[in-house]
Amino acid sequence: MTEAPSTAPLVVAESLGRNFPTRHGLLGRAHDVWAVRDVSLTIAKGETVGIVGESGCGKSTLGRMMMGLDLPTTGTMSFDGRDLSALSGPEMRKLSRRMQMVFQDPFGSLDPRRTIGAQIADGLRTHNIVPASEVKTEVARLLEQVGLPTSAAQRRPHEFSGGQRQRIAVARALSTRPDFIVADEPVSALDVSIQAQVVNLLEDLRRDLDLAMLFISHDLHVVRHLCTRIVVMYLGRIVEEGPAEKVFGSPAHPYTRALLAATPSLHPGDGSDGDRILKGELPSPANPPSGCPFRTRCPLAEEACASAVPGLDPVGKHWNVRCIKAGPVTAAQEVPA
Amino acid sequence: MSRSTRKLILPGTIAALIVATVLLAPVLPLQDVRGMDIPNRFAGPSAAHWLGQDDFGRDVLARLIWGGRASLFIAVGSALFAAIIGTALGLLGGYFRGVVELLTVRAAEIILCLPPLLLALLVVTILGAGTWPLVLALTILYTPNYARVVYAATQQVRGLDFVTAQRSMGTHPLKILVRTILPNVLPPLLVQMSLVVASAMVIESGLSFLGLGVVPPTPSWGLMIRSARGAMEVAPLLLVWPSLALAGTILTFNLLCDRLQSALDPRAVTAGGALWLRPRSAAAKTPAAPVEAPADAPLLEIRDMSIAVRDMELVRRVSLTVRPGETVALVGESGSGKTLTGLAMTGLLPDTLRVTGGSALYTTREGKAVDLAKLDEEGIRALRGDEVSMVFQDAAAALNPVLRIGEQVAEAIRAHHDLEGEALQTRVVELLRHVGIPDPERRARAYPHELSGGQRQRAMIAVAVANNPRLLIADEPTTALDPTIQAQILQLFAQLKRETPGMGMIFVTHDLAVVAEIADRVTVMYAGEVVEEGPVAEVFERPRHPYTAALIASVPEGGAERLTAIPGSVPSPRQMPAGCRFAPRCAFATERCTAHPPTAEHPAPGRVTRCFHWENVT
Amino acid sequence: MALFLVWIVVTVVFLLLHLIPGDPAELLLSQGNVAADPKAVAALREQMGLNAPLWQQYLDHMAGVLTGDLGASFRDGAPVIEQIALRLPRTLEVILAASLIATGIGVPLGTYAAIRADGKADAVISFFASASLSTPVFVVGSVVILIFAQKLQWLPAGGFTPFSEDPLEHLQLLLLPAGTVALSLLAVITRMSRASVLEVLQRDYVRTARAKGLPRNPILRRHVVRNALIPVLTVLGLEMGTLIGGTVLVEFVFNWPGLSGYLVAAVDARDYPEVVGIVMTISVLFVFLNLVVDVVNALLDPRISLVR
Repeated sequence: MTEAPSTAPLVVAESLGRNFPTRHGLLGRAHDVWAVRDVSLTIAKGETVGIVGESGCGKSTLGRMMMGLDLPTTGTMSFDGRDLSALSGPEMRKLSRRMQMVFQDPFGSLDPRRTIGAQIADGLRTHNIVPASEVKTEVARLLEQVGLPTSAAQRRPHEFSGGQRQRIAVARALSTRPDFIVADEPVSALDVSIQAQVVNLLEDLRRDLDLAMLFISHDLHVVRHLCTRIVVMYLGRIVEEGPAEKVFGSPAHPYTRALLAATPSLHPGDGSDGDRILKGELPSPANPPSGCPFRTRCPLAEEACASAVPGLDPVGKHWNVRCIKAGPVTAAQEVPA
Repeated sequence: MSRSTRKLILPGTIAALIVATVLLAPVLPLQDVRGMDIPNRFAGPSAAHWLGQDDFGRDVLARLIWGGRASLFIAVGSALFAAIIGTALGLLGGYFRGVVELLTVRAAEIILCLPPLLLALLVVTILGAGTWPLVLALTILYTPNYARVVYAATQQVRGLDFVTAQRSMGTHPLKILVRTILPNVLPPLLVQMSLVVASAMVIESGLSFLGLGVVPPTPSWGLMIRSARGAMEVAPLLLVWPSLALAGTILTFNLLCDRLQSALDPRAVTAGGALWLRPRSAAAKTPAAPVEAPADAPLLEIRDMSIAVRDMELVRRVSLTVRPGETVALVGESGSGKTLTGLAMTGLLPDTLRVTGGSALYTTREGKAVDLAKLDEEGIRALRGDEVSMVFQDAAAALNPVLRIGEQVAEAIRAHHDLEGEALQTRVVELLRHVGIPDPERRARAYPHELSGGQRQRAMIAVAVANNPRLLIADEPTTALDPTIQAQILQLFAQLKRETPGMGMIFVTHDLAVVAEIADRVTVMYAGEVVEEGPVAEVFERPRHPYTAALIASVPEGGAERLTAIPGSVPSPRQMPAGCRFAPRCAFATERCTAHPPTAEHPAPGRVTRCFHWENVT
Repeated sequence: MALFLVWIVVTVVFLLLHLIPGDPAELLLSQGNVAADPKAVAALREQMGLNAPLWQQYLDHMAGVLTGDLGASFRDGAPVIEQIALRLPRTLEVILAASLIATGIGVPLGTYAAIRADGKADAVISFFASASLSTPVFVVGSVVILIFAQKLQWLPAGGFTPFSEDPLEHLQLLLLPAGTVALSLLAVITRMSRASVLEVLQRDYVRTARAKGLPRNPILRRHVVRNALIPVLTVLGLEMGTLIGGTVLVEFVFNWPGLSGYLVAAVDARDYPEVVGIVMTISVLFVFLNLVVDVVNALLDPRISLVR
């Protein structure tokens, strides 16, 4: 594991927020529903940032905003120094060559009616990556890169298994020679034995191509394995971010600790996990609690937590936590609830 | 060719014949449609006039064919025009949304506020009767239908990842519409097309019948019926021919549309009614008379059970034992047959599947041994929900959306006990409290959609344990849940185990870590077969089958630099390897493995593995 | 929203009728091929208010609509609202009777076909549903008259007697038109029930109900049919709305003096107040029916809330 690289970051998100106002009834007032709130994040080349959190924490919305697929309500998102919301349609389409995405559902991410080759060639043709005469050989090269036979180009998606489709999706993303890849739960829909294939592939690519990668997942084990830096989100906000070994080794936010405790392990402890299991469920983003969003489920919550949203304060080098009672805690010295 | 495609041939051929006949009308040796022959009016069929002559002595057959030409021209013409305009509106509205949607789809939908015949009537009276006004009227009429269908399909396709992938690739929106979205909305469009042709013919003939459509003397089926009505008593056949032609043609197009729909929509293939609802079919199985079970009999003993769909074996010779108080995890990847094995224990296998061999001996409360695999519907129903019950994966789908939670729990109790009124209500609330639903009195009156995912799964569990079952089968009960909620539900299962020490549990899952948390023993399945079984701690400590070992190694938990991936993928049930089914992906495989299926080996007491090389695995 | 739709429809119909060529005054006064006296036409135009600017005619018209005054017929000067009040119940009667017959038979038939899906009974039911759906009402009507009135002479061929004068004859006369409308509606309801029941049978909650050990009939009643009815009732509501303007042909075939038949005559004569009045009545009913469908849906399906 390396420290955050010193080069200028490629992707910079500045206090991003995304509101999805929802109207109740025809004449009802629109309610604010903030899916993402005040998220700042930078990713440099060769760095893999993992975003973890449960459903509804805003991690996918954040991923879409960082891809420019969705515009932020507040804050700015810039790529290589250019503000995405200031770009015109054609400019954005041109820039999108450098940013690609890999999706969760291996069955929905490929057009069932077109051959694999045609779908991979789309990106090559749109951005004139290679001369028209070389498209075929380039498609073959891409397929080989993700470990598939070149004969796959003539076939259609239904002839492939989930893991193979996910490789095809990766090949398609690589076709435009991107600098930045957003992978939104790319292995969650795959069987365990296949997950490892795709995780290894992503790891190789990141290293070989020096990519910046945003890896979104709810699976802590996979994130820990793949990512150099971890961002933990809860109800649209970052609650903890820092180097993987710090966040997982000695989590500073009570939610991070709860998430780790809740994740089943091949080597379960003595069964005393019971006390550390979180009570209650995620509050509705339409009606978040006052102050710290986690306080309704937090074992450490006190009166002060309800008054204001805690700031994202440093507890170490490149390591920030949004909690007034934060402190790095190793598994052994767990604070009793 | 699939069955649904074959069923297309008949209506397709008839439709083609009809179209060919009316297209060839000018070259067919037909009588003159306007040639009157007053002396022979109302003459019956003859060699010269196969279908007879009408009130002006004109040839009915010729008028029938030329009339069909007019009807079909109007119907197909307006269906095409409406399809082109409506598809464009629907695509634009569905893809761009917002203002574009308002200007295209929503604007077109105003037309739908007028009853169709009324609208056609208005347009035709304004423009006067005739062929082209009819085409215009019907085009206006059907454009919103297409716009709606295409709009809905576009919206659906638009949200799919492969369209997002195109957008993120920087493809121009119009190119996405034409290249990616249009081909994917074609199936509903085709169906709509044949539907509109049929419906347009109905309206066209109706207007002609009223004297507001095709202008005489141009022949038209509607007009022919109109004039035949006046002479109904003299020549009833004159009414029959055009009626038959009209109804027959419309029926053909409607059939074509129906069968097109089922051929294009793969979901419809699975819909085949429900065998369990047919009273007589239940008698197909003949249950063996229950015998006294030995005193030390396990709760459930599955021996060599196989499950097949037609001649394709999905589960092969599975054996599994559950003792009272024991939790057995059934673990495997998709297609391993673990869920089917669980479903077979409650007789809830899908209609097309059946248990083809082996037995599943269950010891009842009264100490009788019954074979769950051979019970008839009534026999297994008596056990279901009472002695053997099941928790399903997706509680949102497994609970009835229109019934209150309390009613659904009460139903489970009432199915097996005579409990009513206050006592029943008390029991329901008690159960809901027991599974950890906060404020159970109020929640009992809630509908499933008003509960969170975790609470729904708790309600599902309350239904399952309502009658204190002796065997609980949980099919991936935590898979759809978030980690913190999953932990809560696992804790609930652990609590249930503690409180009902005699209850056996089969916990079906794909997650090895969950197995480690909850189960006493584990049975690992691969491609429809059991490959290894034994106590959880022992199996995880020292797996004796290469598949189990590889599965454990592929979990990214150990902090290894690189994950161990299993190459290849699970074989399809159609092409199972002859020997060991894992051999093609196995690092230990030798010639022996591909030739013969391995037999059961016992590396230690209480452990089984099906591998020739088990001694070398770990 | 519903009011907005009604307003749009009324406006569109008003504009359509006023912007197209053809002078109603001239049409009224001309007999056959004899041209009307230009002076008389001018006088009539003045009397009918056709000389005022279009916007003024429109405003007058809208003001009238809001006060419940739909104007007087060009042809006989009678208030349009009276004619509508007289004829609308007759049309609604046919539609209601047909809906009752169709639902009463269609839902059980469709459910039965679904349970026996792909069997012989299902094939027969499905074929007859397709066949009756494919036969236009005027064909059915004509054939029905041929059989029941002319050959068998069981029922009168058509006409109308007010219920207050002779209830029995009224019902006899109602039977054929209502039955004819019911036949195609029955086909729609049967097909929809079949499809809906088949769909519900595949749902997980039916499997849950079986897993509880419930007997066959409670599952069918509480879980299958209850859920399957929701889309069926939606379709019934929409079909009834279509029928309000769609009974033209049946009324014509059976000489039933309802609202739709009246509309054809009004359109023919370019009687603006009548046409606009009738079209407005029908579209108000149409929109209202859609509202009723939404309300009924919300009552049956707790997932849809009325308040939203």
